[in-house]
Amino acid sequence: MGTIFNIQRFSIHDGPGIRTTVFLKGCNNRCLWCHNPESLIIKPQIQTYLNKCIGCGQCFEVCPEGCHVLFIDDETKETKRMFKREKCTGCGKCADSCFANALVLCGEEMSAQKVMEEVLMDKPYYEQSGGGVTFSGGEPLLQLAFLKELLTISRENGIHTAVQTALNMDFSRVVEVAPYVDLFMCDFKIFDRDLHKKYIGNDGEKIRENLKRLPELKEYGCEYVVRTPVIGGVNDTEEEIKNIADFPEEFVHPAYYELMPYHNMGLSKLETLGVEGEDIGEAALFTTPSEEKMNTLKEISNIIKK
Amino acid sequence: MEKIYRDCIESMRETKLMYNQMKLEKIGYIDNDDHGMIPLPHKEGFPKLESSPDGLAYGPRDIGKNWKLWLTEYHPTYINPNSALAGAWFGTVPGLGGWRKEDRPYHLKELHEKYNFVQTGIGAMNHMCPDMRIGLDLGFKGILDKVRRFRYLNNPVNTDFYDGEEDVVLGMLAFIERHAKAAKEMSLTETDPFKKSNLEKIAEVNQNLLKEPPKTLREAVQFLCWFQTFSRMYFTSGAMGQLDELLRPYYEKDIKEGIITDDEVVWYIASLLVNDTHYSQIGGPHPADGHDLSSRMSYLILEATHALRIPCHIALRLHDNYNHDLFHKAVTYLFEDGTGVNYSCSGGLDKGYMKNSAPLGLARMRAKVGCNWTALPGIEYCLQDVSRVCLVKPLLLALDDMIADSSCENSMEELWDRYCGHLAVSVKVMKDGMDWHMAHHGRNTPEMVINLFCHGPIERGLDAVDGGVDIYNLNCDGVGLATAADSFGAIEQRVVNEKRISWEKLYEVLKNDYEGNENIRLMMKNIPRYGSGGSLSDKWADKISDKYTHLMKDTPTDNGYQMIPGLFSHGIIGQLGQNLGATPNGRKAGEPISHSADPDPGFMKDGGSAPTAKSNAVARVQPGYGNSAPLQIDFDTELAMSIGGIEAIENLLLTHNKQGGTLVNINVVSKEKILEAHKDPSKYPDLVVRVTGFSAFFASLSPKYRQQIVDRILSK
Repeated sequence: MGTIFNIQRFSIHDGPGIRTTVFLKGCNNRCLWCHNPESLIIKPQIQTYLNKCIGCGQCFEVCPEGCHVLFIDDETKETKRMFKREKCTGCGKCADSCFANALVLCGEEMSAQKVMEEVLMDKPYYEQSGGGVTFSGGEPLLQLAFLKELLTISRENGIHTAVQTALNMDFSRVVEVAPYVDLFMCDFKIFDRDLHKKYIGNDGEKIRENLKRLPELKEYGCEYVVRTPVIGGVNDTEEEIKNIADFPEEFVHPAYYELMPYHNMGLSKLETLGVEGEDIGEAALFTTPSEEKMNTLKEISNIIKK
Repeated sequence: MEKIYRDCIESMRETKLMYNQMKLEKIGYIDNDDHGMIPLPHKEGFPKLESSPDGLAYGPRDIGKNWKLWLTEYHPTYINPNSALAGAWFGTVPGLGGWRKEDRPYHLKELHEKYNFVQTGIGAMNHMCPDMRIGLDLGFKGILDKVRRFRYLNNPVNTDFYDGEEDVVLGMLAFIERHAKAAKEMSLTETDPFKKSNLEKIAEVNQNLLKEPPKTLREAVQFLCWFQTFSRMYFTSGAMGQLDELLRPYYEKDIKEGIITDDEVVWYIASLLVNDTHYSQIGGPHPADGHDLSSRMSYLILEATHALRIPCHIALRLHDNYNHDLFHKAVTYLFEDGTGVNYSCSGGLDKGYMKNSAPLGLARMRAKVGCNWTALPGIEYCLQDVSRVCLVKPLLLALDDMIADSSCENSMEELWDRYCGHLAVSVKVMKDGMDWHMAHHGRNTPEMVINLFCHGPIERGLDAVDGGVDIYNLNCDGVGLATAADSFGAIEQRVVNEKRISWEKLYEVLKNDYEGNENIRLMMKNIPRYGSGGSLSDKWADKISDKYTHLMKDTPTDNGYQMIPGLFSHGIIGQLGQNLGATPNGRKAGEPISHSADPDPGFMKDGGSAPTAKSNAVARVQPGYGNSAPLQIDFDTELAMSIGGIEAIENLLLTHNKQGGTLVNINVVSKEKILEAHKDPSKYPDLVVRVTGFSAFFASLSPKYRQQIVDRILSK
């Protein structure tokens, strides 16, 4: 069994062709700009969309921990509802009774077979388009046994497999699944150690070491690509991109290197996880780089890669 | 493209938009095909026919008289000097009464109401395909000679049929002659050299068509243009045929002789497409060996649709040997223009049609010539797209019966049995209506125009409905599959499996239209829905489609006509929904039911509508006998901007074809644009949308109709 938080069909940006992307929950990086903040912890979490609430009161009745409470607003004297997230165990009973989808359980424990049932529904499209399945996250390599099971079933069914990883782990994990993977899509987000520490929560040393070892994956017949999300205000400088693209010789010949512009979809998701106002912190300040900026940075990376 | 032709096309486009605005002001919203009708006045004082007590015309002889008079004296001529072609229609022939009172099916009215029939097919016209080769080979004069020759050979006692057909052709010839003269007159005062020469050419082409069959491509296109105009005037017929193949021989000859250029040809075709929105196919399998029929002509037709960017009804046929280059071009234009051709799929159509005892060669010939439908040109009477069985009403009736019957225990099995019983009656009522139609149609509103372009009616002296053609396959479409399937799925999950609500309580809530029970409504709505794959609702969709198909196919009508089932709603889901109470899928009373075979918008767990999931669902529920259950997909323009977007759509289409799909309709539009246009349609008067099988200017559609499209697009 493993925990996933989404299965996205007709995915066309997560590898070649038409794909299904399976998102595994849990991550060991803490990128402040994360566009999937609901993926960070492995435990299922309640996401709230209170504008959809119809006030049926079911959640109050079913919650064993008393997380859903009513209170009188001191100022307006109106009765309001509150979700005490700190007490929530993620049992999902409230979401199960919330037909308005104001409360949604993010994260579901599923067997590999069950996940693959849905993935296999689109097999004819993979075959036609040269697509397949992509395991993303979160950090899919943290649920190693589950991932291996998913990949094995994919292999048995002749489906092209891709794994998106930030490589912040022992390289043995990568090697363990490599025989079942056609394509690794690896992130290299920030070169500068201090910036890495500041924005991702670690100095990135392990990631850099692992990037150097990527050519070893060729032994297993794997392709790999390297991708950098460009976040305005973090790494959207010529120096950063130059350093990333100019990384030591060992890091050579990825199938391609890609720069991806940051989008702020993660912000609205933060709200659903109870992170609002000041708690959002620096994440509110990141910007999407302009097309012009992206083109300049792409040019720099292209020159170096040539 | 040469500037002169580009300018002419742009001018025709602007004229079209101007007329469209006039239509909006004079007629109001049009929730239908954007026909080429010109909203200008015609001569008043058309006399009532004195031979019929109510002053209306019924049957071939009287209709022929009215037709001839209308075209000879009343309908104005229309020539746009920027168009390569003469003619347009301003309105249908006056004085045609439909059916005589004594022939109308009053005896079926009660059952039609009970089963929520909005389109019964009775009295419907035209929904078959002409073989335009007949006309192109003979010309109008040749057709007249043919009518006279077979009148002589058959020597009928009752000459009404030939009298009528002769008058129809004489009216056509008179109308063409008036245009030839008008063009000549206009040329005398025209000062612009290109327009002057164009008007002279129009006069010459039409003079030639009065005497002989078309010899050049321009004459052939003008001939087809006349057919479009005439067939539209006659109860708004709209089918044409395999357009590229019809024109290819003329194109190749003229190119060889060096008398035309490709740019000029694009202008001819654009002129034809502006004249009317008849349905045609390009590409497709050759009947004999399945090789692709596409030619240079197919490309030029596609170029014309791209240059015009107005509603055009061209379908590209996908099949084993399809032309990938042409296909890629069509999808690329779809991304650029937001709308374009739709994609007819041999994957489901050909093998399906063979199950009606048709050889493969015949199945391959069945071209996409209607909103959602295909037909054999000139040899098949198929009554497509005019008769629908509501798949939802039998469920509400079954629930009423089961709850009222205290002798039975409420269960899914009981409900399904009763559903099947009501669906069977509904299908039988439809079949009885078809028999009634076939028995009475010819003497009321015979197929006067299409008869001329079919193999048999003139030769035999029989209307197409009365034995004039060789093949009779009557279509009927089921509507509301998702509403019915999700309703069954919701009951099974919430009432039977989870026991969250009792049968009685659900029934009470439905009868009160979920009033005060919003939570129950949402509970019924929020189940794994049809389309998500492997859900209870998916299982019910399979069962319902299968049952409906069997009921249609297992027995012919009492009079022996074979039926071919499809699943297609055209745009009547609002009308059907208005007559229905609340349904167990969370739909409130009066709301539209679901489209065709499509899952409802937002059917996925996350509220999305993954195209692959939708494609799988629609491919699986195909009735499978060669009539369509189309897949409607609306993409956001963001996809168009992204790398791999075009290839993804191409592969989606190709896979749907391989899985046995029958037709795919696609829009590419941004959410922002469609919302803005919905709020203020005048901001985007030229926004074209694929409504279902047909395209229309978004601004021409009623707010309710527009809402259906907006809902689909917003659910992504």
